[in-house]
Amino acid sequence: MVKAVKGVVVECDSAVKQIILGLNEKGQFIIEDLDDTHVFVDASCVDQLREDIDQILNENTYKVEDAK
Amino acid sequence: MSKFQTSIHEYLETLPLQTFNRLYQKPATCLAVFRLLPPLGKQIIMSSLYVDPPIAVSDMKLWFKGSAGEIKHTEAMQRLKALHIFEEVRGKYAMNATFLEQFRNALTGGGNSQSFGLATSTPDKYHVDIHFLDDYATKQWEAILHFMVGTTEGRPPCKGVLNLLGRSGLMTGGADNGGGGGDQMDARDFASQMARQDFGVPKITHKGFQFLLQDINTQVWAFLLQYLNMAESLNMDLVEVLTFFFQLGSLELGKDYSSENLTPTQTHLLEDLKAYGIVYQRKRGSRRYYPTRLATTLTSGTPVMLGSHTNATKIAAAAAAKKAEEEEEDDHGFIVLETNYRIYAYTDSPLQIAVLNLFVHLRDRFPNMVTGVVTRDSIRRALSKGITADQIITYLTAHAHAQMRKHSPILPLTVVDQIRLWEIEKNRLRPVPSWLYSQFSRQQDFESTLEYASELDVVLWSNQKRRMLCITAEGHTAVGAYVRKLISRHKELQAQQAQQSSPHTHHSPHVSSVAS
Repeated sequence: MVKAVKGVVVECDSAVKQIILGLNEKGQFIIEDLDDTHVFVDASCVDQLREDIDQILNENTYKVEDAK
Repeated sequence: MSKFQTSIHEYLETLPLQTFNRLYQKPATCLAVFRLLPPLGKQIIMSSLYVDPPIAVSDMKLWFKGSAGEIKHTEAMQRLKALHIFEEVRGKYAMNATFLEQFRNALTGGGNSQSFGLATSTPDKYHVDIHFLDDYATKQWEAILHFMVGTTEGRPPCKGVLNLLGRSGLMTGGADNGGGGGDQMDARDFASQMARQDFGVPKITHKGFQFLLQDINTQVWAFLLQYLNMAESLNMDLVEVLTFFFQLGSLELGKDYSSENLTPTQTHLLEDLKAYGIVYQRKRGSRRYYPTRLATTLTSGTPVMLGSHTNATKIAAAAAAKKAEEEEEDDHGFIVLETNYRIYAYTDSPLQIAVLNLFVHLRDRFPNMVTGVVTRDSIRRALSKGITADQIITYLTAHAHAQMRKHSPILPLTVVDQIRLWEIEKNRLRPVPSWLYSQFSRQQDFESTLEYASELDVVLWSNQKRRMLCITAEGHTAVGAYVRKLISRHKELQAQQAQQSSPHTHHSPHVSSVAS
């Protein structure tokens, strides 16, 4: 029998996909892991997810120091 | 977010026939609409203006040569039909009777000429010259732009302008999260919030930035269109407002016109347009008004030449426009962007500096220039306000310094690419609300569902092997119904074929929704 689940398809690059998988260990919001670049998640966690990923990416960027 | 409407054509085409019939009662409107048309449209109208019987479609086709001409012909006729100038009746093109009559009047000077504005009969004691009008228009218009970018230069624009900015979604309250908040906000709320000191600075929106990047003529039209949208909710007569706009477009710069026989709606309108710098009135309730350059270039299609002070006659207008464009290049090309992300802007205009400050980390300010750096943070700040990388790049290209223009491409590729990358990085997640269909019991069920959903164009993702597919939220009702039908048909078939019930058919197939 066919099952339909409501949620959000998140399309992303594979690097971000790995971050999402890492975050999922804490939160468990992934409903279905679709493929390398797609993941099906709970609709309520998307904003939080975006923030978390932003933060992680922020920590991992090299910033040119402003010469003052 | 709705697309920010900037073109008067698009707006006009949404109006119903009745409105057009009323609009076309004024010769000035007919002339204005005519002036707004592309050359081919003008040509068709001129050719058929004095042909009384309707022209057969096949006859008009003969005017055009070859297949390229035919495409152009169809396009032009579509425009004219959308504007209700032509109508296709039984294989013949008939020109709208009202338009025909009034446009002939406009050209020959017949009929009631008051729609072109009534010039005052007595000389004005306080006559103002074109130079003054240009200054006035520039000052008023720039005050609005200044306010939008958040500089404190000059006094804040009056309530009417604030209202319009809020209504049109060009700006939004400081507390809001950028985006379309301004759309829903009540105009009065917005104005009162603006007035409160603790409210913070109203923020420019995505639409607002797009607005700033346009040339003045487009900006003015965009503003007037927003005004039209607002006018409807204020119970102002749309036709009167539009007629007045078009009338302004046909006035002559530097002449004064009588405001005595304007309708109450138009008098009210005059007050508002004064605030935008489109018309000038010495004092409230004065019997005369002057159109500024912002008004007179509304329908002419030539660029507004604010501040160029060329007293161009109509014949020399084209040459002057060209010159103004060159001047503009000199005036506006002030940005030097280097491959090391440094930016040097040769400007002392607070407006331009404020616009730059939206996406550049400004560092030093000199009397005639500012320097800054494009950084990840400064770009991200702009992106989070809803400004797109393309908008930034377009702005930088349009205002690149003459020295930069010698290179091709104008902007250093490294910087352009990096700005785009920063934007992509911000949008590394692309979430789409959807429904996941899984656990199809038979491959053929899955395949036919997939086919059906593809036809509807609602498939976001699918996998044959795992028999899973993702459908957009809009497509769910249709696809859900289809799956239900598939399963019940399958069940019937099974029931017919096999008398003994198989364990499968005991379960009533259903589509369940799990929303957690």
